[in-house]
Amino acid sequence: MYYFISENVFGRNSGTEHAQARRTRMFNAEGEQAFYVSRNYNPLLKRDLESVKLAAKESINMYDFFQGTLAVRRKKQNLRLLGEVPLDEYHVEAITPNYSMITHVGREIGRINVLPGTVGLTMDVENRDQHNNLVARENWDWRGFKSSIDYFHPDGQVASRSYLSQDGDPVLEQLWMDVDGKRQPTMWKLLNYQGHDYRFSTEDQLFLFFLNELTKQDSNATLIADRHTLDYVVADVQGTKAKWGYFHGVHSTKPGKVGKGSILPVYRNILEQRADAFDGVLVATEDQRADLVTRYPHMDVRVAPDTAIAKTHMHKEAKHPTVMFVGRFGPDKRPEQALQMMGELVKQVPDARMEFYGYAPDEDTMKRLNDEVTKLGLTDQVQFADYMGLGELSKEYSHGDVIVQTSIAESFGMNLVEAMSYGIPAVSYNIPYGTKALVRDGENGYVVPDGATKQMAAKVAQLLTDHDDWQAKSKAAKETASNYTFTRAMGDWRRALK
Amino acid sequence: MIFFINSIMQENKSGIEFAQLKRIELFNDHNVDYRLVVRDWNPRLHPTTRAADVPDRNLINMFEYFQNAMAIEDHPQHLADLDFGVLDTHVEEEATRFLVYTTDNRLVARVNVSGDDKVVFSTELFDGFGNLYRVDYYDTRGFRSLEQWYTPDNKIGTEVWLDPDGHAVIEKFYRKSVHEEDGLVASGWRLTDRTDGKTYMFDTIEELTVRFLDDLNDEYWSLEHPNVFVLDRGHVADWGLLHLRRPAYTVNHLHNAHASGQDPMAPVVNNNYEFTLSAIDDYDAIVSSTHKQSADVDKRFHPRAKLFTIPVGVVPDELLHAPRILESKRTFGKMVVFARIAPEKQLDQLTAAFAIAHNKFPEATLDLYGYEDATNKFEAKRKVEAVIKKNHLEDAVTFKGYTTDVDTAENNAMLYGLTSNMEALTWPSWKRLPTVSFQFHTTSITALTKLLRTTLTAG
Repeated sequence: MYYFISENVFGRNSGTEHAQARRTRMFNAEGEQAFYVSRNYNPLLKRDLESVKLAAKESINMYDFFQGTLAVRRKKQNLRLLGEVPLDEYHVEAITPNYSMITHVGREIGRINVLPGTVGLTMDVENRDQHNNLVARENWDWRGFKSSIDYFHPDGQVASRSYLSQDGDPVLEQLWMDVDGKRQPTMWKLLNYQGHDYRFSTEDQLFLFFLNELTKQDSNATLIADRHTLDYVVADVQGTKAKWGYFHGVHSTKPGKVGKGSILPVYRNILEQRADAFDGVLVATEDQRADLVTRYPHMDVRVAPDTAIAKTHMHKEAKHPTVMFVGRFGPDKRPEQALQMMGELVKQVPDARMEFYGYAPDEDTMKRLNDEVTKLGLTDQVQFADYMGLGELSKEYSHGDVIVQTSIAESFGMNLVEAMSYGIPAVSYNIPYGTKALVRDGENGYVVPDGATKQMAAKVAQLLTDHDDWQAKSKAAKETASNYTFTRAMGDWRRALK
Repeated sequence: MIFFINSIMQENKSGIEFAQLKRIELFNDHNVDYRLVVRDWNPRLHPTTRAADVPDRNLINMFEYFQNAMAIEDHPQHLADLDFGVLDTHVEEEATRFLVYTTDNRLVARVNVSGDDKVVFSTELFDGFGNLYRVDYYDTRGFRSLEQWYTPDNKIGTEVWLDPDGHAVIEKFYRKSVHEEDGLVASGWRLTDRTDGKTYMFDTIEELTVRFLDDLNDEYWSLEHPNVFVLDRGHVADWGLLHLRRPAYTVNHLHNAHASGQDPMAPVVNNNYEFTLSAIDDYDAIVSSTHKQSADVDKRFHPRAKLFTIPVGVVPDELLHAPRILESKRTFGKMVVFARIAPEKQLDQLTAAFAIAHNKFPEATLDLYGYEDATNKFEAKRKVEAVIKKNHLEDAVTFKGYTTDVDTAENNAMLYGLTSNMEALTWPSWKRLPTVSFQFHTTSITALTKLLRTTLTAG
């Protein structure tokens, strides 16, 4: 079986998680059993899996595994129906949609926080002492069971957490203490796991133990490391058939000029210190493979696509000509250049609209982008959407006309493949590596020089105004995308992993 | 059901515990059921109560009640039974503990043991960075009863009582006092009900105690035989008994003089009974151990609560009919006293009186049996020692410590000395020995004389 190793599935995922999730789905759809394996504790995991369209049985989370709750089905836990609150003794008062207060004789003795995005479902139950100090907290899983109990140090920081089985038995305890004056988790202790206790000083030690437990049960285990902060853990796993690392990004400190810069520190474990522990490295493009082999001639570097699509889709006409930007609003994606391009575009196509799908790494970035929109006078033309799961995003793709790519570099370009599957042509800067692999200038879109916002605006304008040109490019785009359907991409993967 | 309520039942008992145990003997003798209720947590409770002939089924400790651990099999834990989750540890043995180390000599745990068979009493647990993070206490019956979670600066932050399956059932939280100099103080309790999993918050152990008594009252509810709560130590539930959810017959037992020993009308009453006496009509009954005290309480407080006089000393038939130990078999001139070496026992005065007798009878000796009260840096003991020194009684007066073998000591002595200023009734001595005592109002000399006559004729 295949195990794709990561830290987490988040409420807002980066390309790495999306690519990993999609690969998991593809493998399972094509008859190769695969799991999205995650390390972090996440009581909302089931919800987040749904947002990347993964089924519970395609996921193995470490905490879930030890809690014995991998297969628990969801039962909505209304906060007013919590069995543990004695309603003949206490009142539950709704204060905001986000929390309710438990009161006794008019004084707050606890608080029930509401699961985000739900009406009155339980996220956690806090207990408070006579001075309103938080003294205990029960964390509920999205699936409606009590998952862990926290106690706190007198300074208010969490002191210990007891992870529970669905029956409420403690199975794992975690501790926070000071090391050299700094508060940090200092212990994970498995309790009565197959008859024994096991103490660990770091979460990754526990993660290694966990991965070994997985591979122990499977004589045919292939591990693919997707988060490279965990490569050193994967390197130590025993009893596997094969271990690979997949690069979801560009490996150089100078991503725009990959031959130049040095290797990013996060890749040094797999490429250098622990290279012997891996069978090799997987990348999305031939160009990246060539660059890596130049630096590491003995490294086995193979190519397999970083995304796959279930199928291609029909395109729908929107009210206005619509340009899309899909990706994190991080500095490596240069969303501000896309805005400048839009500033040029509206001079030529006044009724054009631009929609940004993604999320900002922080509030400052979002504020800067909004300021830029105002400065460019684009408030009516530009819209930033909230982060969307895969399902919602598909609806938006269906009415897009052009997608732009302004990144410094892309190892692949999942956004472009997805857009093309709806017949949306791409206009991209000429950047390593994905553009060359995905966009053929004048065929399924256009390629303009890196940083040339005006030229990009001109190409976008042409696609939005020249219907025949758009039709031709759209058709070709859909053909490009069809190279990445599950069946085809799986073929590439099978060849790569041989 | 009839409940006798105390906070403690220690190996080193004081008069109240003896009075309870004597009462239990009496109840047993008359086949009347009872429950001994002990409020405070004590991992060594059961050896003590079993030794005192209180079977587990008649004992209800509040913590064990909530822990579902009142009647469990004994499985004392030894070092080999413990799992620290660390491979290849090695152990250093000391007199009363084991030190457990990792292969690279980092301390994993200190295991404190007791007895020749080295039964685990507590474990001090360390994380991989050398922080003491928790101390676990084991009940003598073998289950892990209490976890004390430590703060980074080595104070107890949270205490968690577990059921025998390891689930948290009671937590006690400590937080910084609003007065910084007080450090961490208990700030609340959380209870998870053992029957339905509901959770409750309490500010103080007194609130938790009321909840406990309510549970007992429910569990033993009977219209034919309404529950009777006899409160033997006031601070446990003198307030609590007045705040029960459903009715019960509440009895407050006076085990000491309710005011000064000399003056039952003294304006300041015995602090232990100040609350009880101020709220006297809210109880159903007040028990004194002498008619004199009952009369004094009646005269002073005119309570509507019913007053009963029930002696706290019960002389078993076998003792009453035991053969008398002849004077010739006793040590000539030996006086004994069984009392805590505590201020209210006034043993320095007894020693001073003894010094006068010792002048006339140099063979006379005085044995003081009882544990030392630490109040004011062992002031009571220091005062006795001063008298000994002043009168050169080093060879005549001996601190014998606490004894459970009262019979042997008494059978060897000729006299009992009593100088306490708070006794409601002296408990053991009048059964065999002539007593020399101050005149008190409560244990009146007439009563004593009567009792002495009984004992002497019985002997």
